[in-house]
Amino acid sequence: MIGFRKPIRAKTLGRGSQKSQGNIEGGALSSVSLKNLVLSPDLETNLRQIKTILDRCSDVVYREFVFAQNEEIRLALIYTDGLADKVQVSDQIMKALALEVAMAAPGQEITKARALEFIKQRGLCIHQIKETNKVEDIIDAILSGDTVLLVDGHATAIINGARGFETRSISDPEAEPTVRGSRESFIESLRVNTSLIRRKIKSPNLKIESMKLGEVTATDVAIAYIEGIANDKLVAEVKNRLGRIKVDAILESGYLEELIEDNPFSPFPTVNHTEKPDRVAAMLLEGRVAIVVDGTPFVLTVPNLFIEYLQAPEDYYERFIFATAVRVIRFLSMIISLVLPSLYIAVVSFHHEIFPTTLLLNVAAQREAVPFPVFIEVMIMEMTFEILREAGIRLPRPIGQAVSIVGALVIGEAAVRAGLVAAATVIVVAFTGIASFTFAYSASIAFRLLRFTLMVLSATLGLFGLVSGLAIIAIHLCTLRSFGVPYLSPLVPTIGADLKDVILRAPWWAMFSRPRLIARQEQIRLEQGLKPSPPETRPKGKG
Amino acid sequence: MLEQGKIDSKQAIMLMLSTILPTAILTVPAVTAKSARQDSWMSIMIATTVGLLIARLVVVLGLRFPGKTLFEYAEEILGKVPGKIVGLLYIWLFFLYIGSGVIREYGVFMVTAIMPDTPIIVFHIVGVAVVAYMVRNGLEVLSRFNQLTIPTTGLLAIVFILSTKDMKLARLLPVFDAGPLPIVKGSVAPAMWLGEIVTFAMIIPYLIRPREAHRVATLSILLCSFFLTMSILEALLIFGPNVTGHWIFPAFNAVRVVSIANFLERLESVIMVIFMLGGFVKLGVFYYAAVLGSAQWLGLKDYRPLVLPVGVILVALSIPLWGENIVEVLHFIGQVYAPFALIVLEVGIPLLLLIVSLTKGKGGESDA
Repeated sequence: MIGFRKPIRAKTLGRGSQKSQGNIEGGALSSVSLKNLVLSPDLETNLRQIKTILDRCSDVVYREFVFAQNEEIRLALIYTDGLADKVQVSDQIMKALALEVAMAAPGQEITKARALEFIKQRGLCIHQIKETNKVEDIIDAILSGDTVLLVDGHATAIINGARGFETRSISDPEAEPTVRGSRESFIESLRVNTSLIRRKIKSPNLKIESMKLGEVTATDVAIAYIEGIANDKLVAEVKNRLGRIKVDAILESGYLEELIEDNPFSPFPTVNHTEKPDRVAAMLLEGRVAIVVDGTPFVLTVPNLFIEYLQAPEDYYERFIFATAVRVIRFLSMIISLVLPSLYIAVVSFHHEIFPTTLLLNVAAQREAVPFPVFIEVMIMEMTFEILREAGIRLPRPIGQAVSIVGALVIGEAAVRAGLVAAATVIVVAFTGIASFTFAYSASIAFRLLRFTLMVLSATLGLFGLVSGLAIIAIHLCTLRSFGVPYLSPLVPTIGADLKDVILRAPWWAMFSRPRLIARQEQIRLEQGLKPSPPETRPKGKG
Repeated sequence: MLEQGKIDSKQAIMLMLSTILPTAILTVPAVTAKSARQDSWMSIMIATTVGLLIARLVVVLGLRFPGKTLFEYAEEILGKVPGKIVGLLYIWLFFLYIGSGVIREYGVFMVTAIMPDTPIIVFHIVGVAVVAYMVRNGLEVLSRFNQLTIPTTGLLAIVFILSTKDMKLARLLPVFDAGPLPIVKGSVAPAMWLGEIVTFAMIIPYLIRPREAHRVATLSILLCSFFLTMSILEALLIFGPNVTGHWIFPAFNAVRVVSIANFLERLESVIMVIFMLGGFVKLGVFYYAAVLGSAQWLGLKDYRPLVLPVGVILVALSIPLWGENIVEVLHFIGQVYAPFALIVLEVGIPLLLLIVSLTKGKGGESDA
């Protein structure tokens, strides 16, 4: 069952967005004129008005009928086919009003004047209703999937929350699979998504505020945070940044991400996204703010720290020793995915002395027949790998298998056999590619881009170029902020207490405090002294 | 204020370590070992005493004028024109001079040790470009970058431990062979390097807790002299005073004797990376001080427009200022520049400023 909520138009948060609204929508009935329209007591006029506004919208259904007890009272139902729950509309609204009211109130004569009140009190079997006299609200409700009931003689409409459109069922997370932990993933419906979060955090302090963004699409957007844990200033800042947005459409949370991030030209994302409710819950509990967008399973979380890309939800479910070890692996792979090809280029072209003698001979022998300089060779292989990777995503799934076989066999094996590339190069490129899958995808994209830049630098200036490039990247990371929080914290500026969750994943009984820079309000996460210990009285008889 | 950022005391200590050590470890052992020979470690002890005094001097001055840098209080103490002249001296003869010297040392280091066929100016330009990006983003980014890279120096400690197998304590004998004079002469260069703590005068106003400035300066000097002693001892114990005095970068050469599992043998490149990162920060601090100082000297509201011009000046100065080749560079540093900078810029002027401010009764806090 899809719920019903009070829509807050973006303009309540933004500064005078009415002006542009008209421009974007265009046409005779812009929202400027819509805004002041109210209902009249006459049913015919109202219907005509709505029909003019929703002209040529063939999916909107108008159903006129009469009240069961008093045939003079004419009623009209308006809803969008496919968005409203048909069973509810016909059983709880139509059937109730057209047939069952008589049984509900035997002997009572319902006059036209009392009709609205009576219908509201005893006629409708819908659990969420709302009254309005504004045409704008009515149009909004119809297009959002609610069912509007107009009563003749009353300038008030009843909006019934009987939404029921088709949604995908909750399935496994596709982009963030885990071995241990919740298997739920968000879906495309905002209401289901917020319910998934609410199911994890049953606290009255979990606030979910909604707004509508996108002048044409009127996409529902919800901001979730835990009051008392999330920094008030952060929440205000998120609302402020969202309120500033005036755009025709929000089709995916990526639109919002680009519109609210701190540093739009950085290759590194400063807004995180996830499709796992448990991850969002954990983020909220650390004081972050989540932005749920209707129509996408990807929920945004801010502020976003660099270390988040090294953390996986599983780390917190597995025992901490193992989780820490895995994080070390992830950290190493991150470095490998960034520097390995450029290091290979630098060493082979400039600094042979780093190789131990036997390895040097080995590599030299392999490269003897290769017709390209090592930079070109690595570049060709890297480009091939990137093309294969892109093809693997774009191609229809059954063909995807074929691509990987072609990629692995033909390009890898055959290129080496033909002497076009050295086997060592293939190993380096393949290893780099694999390493880039160990940490979050959005960060690995940044690393993929930077890898090519570093390759050019090390091909021209060797290790000096590579280190200079890395220094620039490091400086850039030091300058980044995400919603005011330094991107590299708690590494630099170093916050000792927060280092418990960077490379090391401290055991849960030692996670005393929330991250300093994010949750400024309630820092304490758990009590001291929860470390489990064997009972003091041991069972007798056994040594 | 020109600089918006603030740094905490730990960051300041780390920044001071990177301000003094990177070139000190590379250059000082050779310069000192030339005159003090096997007694070089005693030279470092003398230099440490001098360094501590300079640190004390700088912090006392800085705390008397809270929120002000060297350039601002020099004008307040001496008056407008003499203050401007002192400021000019520091910009040109200290920050720009040492900054260009750092560039030159690293260029020479790259060319002689790693990539002999590349023109030296390439390293100068690329290095300054990287550092300019850092300086443009201000003190906070500078100290964060430093914090990020300073752990790599741990590898140096590992190299030191690994090279112990080639060390012989007998190479330090005989102690006090040539009398005190060579030791004092040998202490000039390290004292000048430790005296680079004068740049701390540019950072004191931006400390989150300026009260801790004394502790920061003292700890920085002690840590620096510890690492400096280690690097000199490493070179002396492995190669003896004769060879050390004739090598250009003895501490770097010490790496060559290291071998791990007969597999990782030539670690110079790894060490080069560490020195490079340190060099970036060291250059960054002097570059930053030059830019900030110039902005204050000219009375600008923002220092960013000066980053590019100062960078160009640094690159331009790095070649002609320090002599034709590496031998001249080292000779110039050891025999000419170090004594001058030590006596005039690191001790003389700060002492003068303090005395004048005491006699004129200028400055807020007089406790020290």
